[in-house]
Amino acid sequence: MDRETVSKVAKVARLRLTDEETEQYAADLEDILSAFSVLDEAPAIEEYDLGPIKVEDVLREDVVYRDSDPAELREIMGTKDDWVRGPRLS
Amino acid sequence: MIPFPTVDGLQALDERHAVFCERIEDPLALEHGKFHFSAKDNLCARGFQARAGSRILKGYRPPFDATPIRKLREIGGLLIGKTNMDEFGFGTFSTNSGFGIPRNPFDTERCCGGSSGGAAAAASLIPEHLSLGVSTGGSISCPASFCGVIGLTPTYGRVSRWGLIDYGNSLDKVGLLTRTARDLERYLPVISGPDAKDPTSQSQPVLDMRGEVATVAVPAEALVGLSPEVASSFAEAVKELGRNGVKVREVRMPSLRYAIPAYYILATSEASTNLARYCGMRFGVMNHEFDQGFNDFFSETRSEDFGPEAKRRILLGTFSRMVGFRNRYYVKALQVRQLIIREYRKVFESCDAVLTPTMPFIAPRFDEIARMRPLEMYQADFLTVPPNLAGMPHISLPCGYSRGIPIGMQAVAPQWAEGSLVSLARSWEESFHYRFPEVTA
Repeated sequence: MDRETVSKVAKVARLRLTDEETEQYAADLEDILSAFSVLDEAPAIEEYDLGPIKVEDVLREDVVYRDSDPAELREIMGTKDDWVRGPRLS
Repeated sequence: MIPFPTVDGLQALDERHAVFCERIEDPLALEHGKFHFSAKDNLCARGFQARAGSRILKGYRPPFDATPIRKLREIGGLLIGKTNMDEFGFGTFSTNSGFGIPRNPFDTERCCGGSSGGAAAAASLIPEHLSLGVSTGGSISCPASFCGVIGLTPTYGRVSRWGLIDYGNSLDKVGLLTRTARDLERYLPVISGPDAKDPTSQSQPVLDMRGEVATVAVPAEALVGLSPEVASSFAEAVKELGRNGVKVREVRMPSLRYAIPAYYILATSEASTNLARYCGMRFGVMNHEFDQGFNDFFSETRSEDFGPEAKRRILLGTFSRMVGFRNRYYVKALQVRQLIIREYRKVFESCDAVLTPTMPFIAPRFDEIARMRPLEMYQADFLTVPPNLAGMPHISLPCGYSRGIPIGMQAVAPQWAEGSLVSLARSWEESFHYRFPEVTA
């Protein structure tokens, strides 16, 4: 895990790191991943799932309700003429 | 590591303490079967901020109750406060919070454990108090052990996660920290059950509070790397269980050695996607300038308001999911989870529970924690991670004291068999005397 990889990963994760942080995380992740290489020795299993129990999708009816005051929400979100403001797209 | 308190800070603390005492000591509030409880700060509750220990959520006030909080309120529970925690649950000592560090009620130079550190401290300090905690990889067992209380983590899917701020969706479980088995008997059935708002809660069989632990298995792998005081307290506790008629068998569980890497790969992979939603819009802090491009805007907020451990886990999780590494790390970790589930099931063919110490050492001092490498902190979870990875219910019970500092043992039961763990807690407290910290005004 070198500094270059950490910088690349940080960019994907939308994190801006200082040089000092990049160096520290490179060292930490190197330490962690070399210990984790023990996973290479674990036997592979054909059947596996994304969670520890079987889960089936269950659909429910939509319930309409209002949990917040729209005026308050507009205020909190700093809206302008009923538009939600955000950063520029480019 | 902990900043020296200022006079203003202490006064503010005094005022908060006075309000808090009023709430818990108001006899009128507690009549008619009412009771007080607290909730870990990653559980949403109407009327309270929900910050999950993170500065990035400062100011977020959810307009709804998480399902377990709603259910406790419906039966007369008074929510008296939210408890401090490691940022998003990322930690073993509750030292990674954006809002101060809870101190161990038995020795304020020591940590509470994590990540439900505040929840354990509240259960330890306040008589007749119920704390809602959350465990992803041991965040109920660890602080329960360090603060000398009972910590019950139910089966994955037993308690609805609706209203919980996610860490790792395939691992997060809401549970209870308290002083007595009676509270588990009362409140586990209340918070359990299917909830249409959380599909993982809908596959569960009905909670059966019967069941007992007649035979326990002690894996040899769990007895390596313990501090001498934990090893001797645990050996003593095992003898005491034997005197109470519980059969003890030694077993081997060789897959446990893969649990820590598998857990940290899965948990951080899931966390790094969950945390993508915190970008300075919609939740929490929104005080940044919009006159920059969205990539710069998101990066700025996230870089300023996530703490160092959150960043470390985001980096690890993002890396594990990247093209070229996904099969080596993420997919392998999913396979290891199945391997460990199978190994537990094999042991449960002839035993009711797997018994180990909860943590390999007593609550460390803050100066000791400051000297630990991140990897060493992760490895400290080697006893609490396996049942969490496998979605098995588990309980931490106080089982000894070293120089007055509590030590815990952890029993793991088959999925959905919480009842046997509660019965173990009940019989254990009849033979082992729990101590609680003295509080002076």
